[in-house]
Amino acid sequence: MSTKEPTEADILRPINTLTKKYFVLYGIATLALLVFLAGWAYQLQEGLVVTGLGDWGSGGGSTWGLYIGAFIWWVGVAHGGIILSAAVRLLGMDRYMPIARLAEMTTIGGLSAAGFYILVHMGRPDRMVTSVIGHYHITVNNSPLVWDVTVITAYFVLSATYLGLTLRYDVSRLRDQLPDRFEPIYKIMTLGYTKQEDEIIERMVWWLAAAVIIMAPLLLHGGVIPWLFALLPAMPAWTGGIQGPMFLSIALMSAIGGVTIISYAFRRAYDWDHIITDDIFRGLLLWLGFFTLLFLWFQLQFVLNGVFLGPNAKAVSAEAKLAHPLYQGAMFLIFSTLVYIFLQTIRPSLFSKKRALLASGIILTGTLTEKVLFVVEGFKHPVFDIYANTPGTYFPSLIEWASLAGTAGLVALLFLNLSKLVPVVELHAVEHMRGDHAHGDEATEPEVEA
Amino acid sequence: MSTDDESFHPLGNEWEGELESMLDDTEYDSQLGMDMARDAMRVTEGELSEAEFHEKYHDDVMEEFGEDERPTKEAYEKAQEETKGTVSRMLDKFDGDGEQTRREAMKKMGVGAAAVGVGAWGTVDDGPEASVAEGGHGGGTETHEHPDTQWGMTIDLERCDGCLTCMTACQQENDLDQGVNWMYVMAWEDRNHSSPDGGQGLVDSGAYTDFNMGSDFNMLVRPCQHCTDAPCEKVCPTTARHTRDKDGIVLTDYDVCIGCRYCQVACPYGVNYFQWEDPSVEYEDIDGLENPEDPDEITHAEYEHGERWVDSRAPRGVMSKCTFCPSMQDGKQGDDMVGTTACESACPPNAIQFGDVNDEKSDSYQHREHPVKSRAVAHLSGDHISSNRYVPGPETVNETLSESDDIESAIAALDAANESRTFDEEVLSMMKAIDIVSERLEPGDNKNTTMIQNERTILESLDAIEGYVDLESEDALDTLNLDDGSEESARFQLQQYVGNPSSFNLLDHIGTNPNVTYLGAEPGSDAYQVEGPTKYEDAGLLDRRQEKLDNETVGHIDGVSL
Repeated sequence: MSTKEPTEADILRPINTLTKKYFVLYGIATLALLVFLAGWAYQLQEGLVVTGLGDWGSGGGSTWGLYIGAFIWWVGVAHGGIILSAAVRLLGMDRYMPIARLAEMTTIGGLSAAGFYILVHMGRPDRMVTSVIGHYHITVNNSPLVWDVTVITAYFVLSATYLGLTLRYDVSRLRDQLPDRFEPIYKIMTLGYTKQEDEIIERMVWWLAAAVIIMAPLLLHGGVIPWLFALLPAMPAWTGGIQGPMFLSIALMSAIGGVTIISYAFRRAYDWDHIITDDIFRGLLLWLGFFTLLFLWFQLQFVLNGVFLGPNAKAVSAEAKLAHPLYQGAMFLIFSTLVYIFLQTIRPSLFSKKRALLASGIILTGTLTEKVLFVVEGFKHPVFDIYANTPGTYFPSLIEWASLAGTAGLVALLFLNLSKLVPVVELHAVEHMRGDHAHGDEATEPEVEA
Repeated sequence: MSTDDESFHPLGNEWEGELESMLDDTEYDSQLGMDMARDAMRVTEGELSEAEFHEKYHDDVMEEFGEDERPTKEAYEKAQEETKGTVSRMLDKFDGDGEQTRREAMKKMGVGAAAVGVGAWGTVDDGPEASVAEGGHGGGTETHEHPDTQWGMTIDLERCDGCLTCMTACQQENDLDQGVNWMYVMAWEDRNHSSPDGGQGLVDSGAYTDFNMGSDFNMLVRPCQHCTDAPCEKVCPTTARHTRDKDGIVLTDYDVCIGCRYCQVACPYGVNYFQWEDPSVEYEDIDGLENPEDPDEITHAEYEHGERWVDSRAPRGVMSKCTFCPSMQDGKQGDDMVGTTACESACPPNAIQFGDVNDEKSDSYQHREHPVKSRAVAHLSGDHISSNRYVPGPETVNETLSESDDIESAIAALDAANESRTFDEEVLSMMKAIDIVSERLEPGDNKNTTMIQNERTILESLDAIEGYVDLESEDALDTLNLDDGSEESARFQLQQYVGNPSSFNLLDHIGTNPNVTYLGAEPGSDAYQVEGPTKYEDAGLLDRRQEKLDNETVGHIDGVSL
């Protein structure tokens, strides 16, 4: 364990420093976003023909592709992030308190990227308000896409409220050490704050966390997002109840991977060895292994259901999935990571933060690949598999590839900006680690001995 | 159902109380409204027939409101007509817009009674979904009441010769881009059905034998199925994809669609084509036909409330598919075109029969319900290139035949009456067989009754022939191979000529309730497309649209695919 005591100054360091590296990172993120924005502008000018997409059926293309794959991937990262943070509050997993806010911010970033993808993917994004919101009262009864937009909006509101409420405590206490140039923002954030509200806010946050934990499997990434695909009977690569648990496991894998990478970056940049401790990385890695195991289990269920005496269409799609080199590659990477995670629990010396970082990177790559493939596979082997031009061909265009960099840049920018505005580690966490926290919460999870 | 309280309504006493107070606010009798509502629920539960319900309250309703336009009227009148004849139904024709009177009646029944009484009908008539969709307005979705007319098709796959004329006709009619094949025709094989080598053109491939069948290929003609339970419509996040109330066709509002392509994803048949780039035909150049200056004339279809842009090629960024030519159904291309589509009109062997699938006189209904007779009629009346036989008109018969003719001499004389075409025993046998099995329906003023009209023409000729020759005698029936002249033998004889196709709906198990019915062999689940009699490029069509789209893809690498 670290010998240093965490202080307020530690968590204020990102706000009160400005380094060259920060500017370089800011520049790269901005550039990535700008490149994609330019690509999107070209797409708006020319039409979606500039993408690699096309009509499935006689047309020999794929209706949806990387945009939708990346969309559900980002939603997964987002949903997983808020589940992670909610678990910290609800289940008393105080050990992860220092990264809870990073997870919440990941949610905001992931949802922003996902929302952006919805616009990018549409043929007429200009009609989003008139056509979608204008008919909402009718379409919400039928359209999974509308349910989707509904829960994403609901979760954005939920997460932002959650984040906003917990920030009031920190900002009001640390106000003197925060830069004056953001004064108006802090004023709005702490509007009407009194110390009496602390307890109420804690209760509110608890209830928000409870809502998140309950709704995640029922409605969020275990429900509405997979239903976008799983409810359609004509595409056997998508159908089935297993998609709910599958999507949820992917969400948690991706979110833990994402939070690990972000935590690593902050720890490195601001010497937070004593705040985001090795122990946190060990714990995250273990959880990553657990959800990876679940994911592989669900994959096995899905594929085996098709290849062993499946109905024609189901068998064809399952066999094609299994035979796809990218699928094999993604599963190999994910499985190898799982093996490593298990090995390092048996032999702790195999653990290192760099390896945890690598494992997270691999998992994120694996889940993104799986997501994009999943979307495209549906169009490749539909029930009505008669067309000579089906399976069609699809390879993402440069603009679609650039969207990945662009949205990653967008999320990075969000973190870079937020870290200059508010503490990304909760004051509560610091107080808790110092042992001067008023609460009697005991860590329910035994700490892993190094 | 609530069993523990006295309430008749599934939502219980509280709800019922609310309705009652709503009724109290109207100027009409609440007790009558509640009694009717209670019995309306019994109708939905099947305890009471619609006609009984109507009769029970008819006098009270007439006294209270001065008229009785409840939705059960039809059932009641139908029951009445069985004893009284059809006078009331004929009078109904002068009633004008039924929709209007119904709405007025609802107003008079009071909000509460309407909600309970008519709402109950919503559930029994249309299923729960329909009542959910009710209330669409402001360019929103249409309601799902059962339309009086439901346009649909019966497509005879064994008459299709794979000439692709329907595809080109559709492309021209709608100014579609290359590769946007709203109508798509393909040849297929599966483990039980093989086919000759394709792509040789009709003559070489041995198409058109005699009476029967377009070609040796197994064909599938795939327009949009205009499903009653359209998955594309269900998933649409905007209501752009909708079913038109008045005639049940499924359309896309080009002014509302956001281009998310979820309809294309959800459609099991793959009938949707997205407008990935600017269409090749400018809007101004869309042929406005009667008013070429104004394309709106044919691109905008008629609705209860104004017009919507749903026809012809889509603008950039929105979805398109086969429309069943609403500009024709709305009469904008002339009365002759009502009840036809561009593909149907263009099909040389009349394999496509468009019409109101609920109207027993329509071509699609006739062809679906009486495929054998309809095939024979289509064959004898079409300008089908294979059919060298002909049916002489009554005038020709009267000019040619005399009282002294017997069956042999009559056939010989009629054969001689046309130099280029043949009249023989087989033609006469088919005519007589059609006569035996025919219900002799009158076309009336129904639209799209070509089949019945053609049948009538054939029967008029037959009647003329029978004026000279007795075709009912044993000898005559023997000569015509009609055995004892029974319906069974007539049907058997027709089947010898035109076959007896089975019928099917495409992907019936998915539950879309399509309004296209096929005659002929159904592709098995292992079926795959093969090269057909005519090559797409020979007909000026592009099959694989991706070839064209790939040209515009930024950073496209040939041959690389996920």
